[in-house]
Amino acid sequence: MYQIKESNSELVTQHYLGMTYENRPMYYLKISQPSNKAKKIIWMDCGIHAREWISPAFCQWFVKEILQNYKTDPKIKSFLQNLDIYILPVLNIDGYIYSWTTERLWRKSRSAHINGTCFGTDLNRNFNGSWGSIGVSHNCSSLIFCGTGPESEPETKAVARFIEKRKSDVLCFLTIHSYGQYILTPYGYKTDLASNHQDLVRQRNTLHVSVEAAEKAAVALKEKHGTNFTVGPTSLILYKNSGSSRDWAHMIGIPFSYTFELRDKGAYGFILPPDQIQPTCEETTAAVMTIIEYVNQKHFPNSAVAVTSGSLWLGLSVLFTWTLS
Amino acid sequence: MQRRSAARLGPLLLLLLLPLAWGEGPSPPRADGELQVSNRLAGQAARVALHYLNYRTGSPSALRALGQVRKATVKTIPGIGHKYYLQFTTEDYKSSQNVGTCLATVLYLKRKPRPAVNINCTYTKDQKQTREDDYSFYKKMRQQTKPITGNDIPDSYGNIEPALEPAWALAVAGSSYLMWEKSTENLGYFMAQVKNVKQWITKDDSIDFDYSVVLHEIPTQEMISCHLRVIWTPGHPLKVKYFCLSENQRSESGEGSGTESGSTNGIFNEEEANF
Repeated sequence: MYQIKESNSELVTQHYLGMTYENRPMYYLKISQPSNKAKKIIWMDCGIHAREWISPAFCQWFVKEILQNYKTDPKIKSFLQNLDIYILPVLNIDGYIYSWTTERLWRKSRSAHINGTCFGTDLNRNFNGSWGSIGVSHNCSSLIFCGTGPESEPETKAVARFIEKRKSDVLCFLTIHSYGQYILTPYGYKTDLASNHQDLVRQRNTLHVSVEAAEKAAVALKEKHGTNFTVGPTSLILYKNSGSSRDWAHMIGIPFSYTFELRDKGAYGFILPPDQIQPTCEETTAAVMTIIEYVNQKHFPNSAVAVTSGSLWLGLSVLFTWTLS
Repeated sequence: MQRRSAARLGPLLLLLLLPLAWGEGPSPPRADGELQVSNRLAGQAARVALHYLNYRTGSPSALRALGQVRKATVKTIPGIGHKYYLQFTTEDYKSSQNVGTCLATVLYLKRKPRPAVNINCTYTKDQKQTREDDYSFYKKMRQQTKPITGNDIPDSYGNIEPALEPAWALAVAGSSYLMWEKSTENLGYFMAQVKNVKQWITKDDSIDFDYSVVLHEIPTQEMISCHLRVIWTPGHPLKVKYFCLSENQRSESGEGSGTESGSTNGIFNEEEANF
């Protein structure tokens, strides 16, 4: 992260988010085109579950893609005019390190419970979104232990405080996991839609927009290497769960909130063969870019038009010059 | 579960207790009929059918994984359980290439044992090739004077030594028996890793392995450690013995020899309308 920050300091800055349980500093990267304009925010975090190694790999790849192409790719240039991208490459640093040094299939954080006889909270059950209600365990020995209370873990608190403070500017919340090949929309904690008609219509419209973006992303992803991703609400296509970061983000008002479950579908699972790392990163980049472009066009419709009308004028003036000669 | 208000306490109490009878996990489908193809219960049932197929086929070179569910319906059979009718595509386990489609029924019984499966599939991979690949692995193992051993397959970085790859595939086939037995309507499994493999040199025609495997359980996310003993002769049913220990020290064991009921070569007595 230090190297990236140093060699691209006009675009990328590194910022402190908080401390992990084992006192490691959490840093995020802010990708921001300097300008006078007030920007909206895209948030992406990787590595909330320790064993899902393809996830932090993807966040790194994605940063590299932006940095290699932001000067030449018109789509990136366009959205960077309006959006800042915040990337947290590893949310669960303690767990991730533990999976490298000690137990490859570790999932949770490394917080100590019951006098140090039991370790780890499932950080993706620890957010304040219908916390503790379904698809969790209140027992530390479980891999879906939701913690002693909502945001009981320092890692959760660090992310939640940060997003909460900026929630009116955060348009999109992406959290990257493996495996399963899904793009999951809210909610995990419930299946029912709103109960009154007004809310139902509003919710249907929001959810419709949300699903449409995800479906476009799945199409773009498939175009890269033919990989099929399934799109839909978590509770229907994966399983019911509560306290997830995706649910919480949407509940505090962030319109586009998705969980990505990357390759594969279970043949190798968490331990993906190395020859699949790059193709997975390439296809996932295409999907995430599609979502960012969608959000950009939805929220800043004029900028998209400006790009096309610019090239239209250029085309017309070239034609005009040519006809004159 | 639908709950109707009752005038008397007795029947009401009985109705309230019904959900408990279904055992662990979230509620089963509320209504009979067609399911969305992306519904987790459909995928879950299709995977159970494939565990059974992989076990019964008993061919490390011909393992199949779920592609996409094309159609899924569910029927409640009162007093017995839930029956799923499925159409799905399959992929080669290792390469993810499409290798054919299946029709299957999966009956989850209220009272165990295992889900009852009938499955019939097309297979587009070159069967002569898979038979040759199986036989070449078998021959190599038969020729071992020193038993092969291995640890952590794949290793943490996803690497599988080419020499150990067929033994890993045989572990998947053997684990399929165990995963079929353990699966319920709500609990599903994948084989995450072979922790250890050790060959037993045999005096007969079979090849024989001891495995320690780790299964990934959904939706609990638990990693279940199991011991497997797999005895195999190509073209014959797999013989599998297993012993598992889970986090809460519940132990389970079982034995399979290819004689269990179920079928892989036809769907008899099923009305086409059910699919």
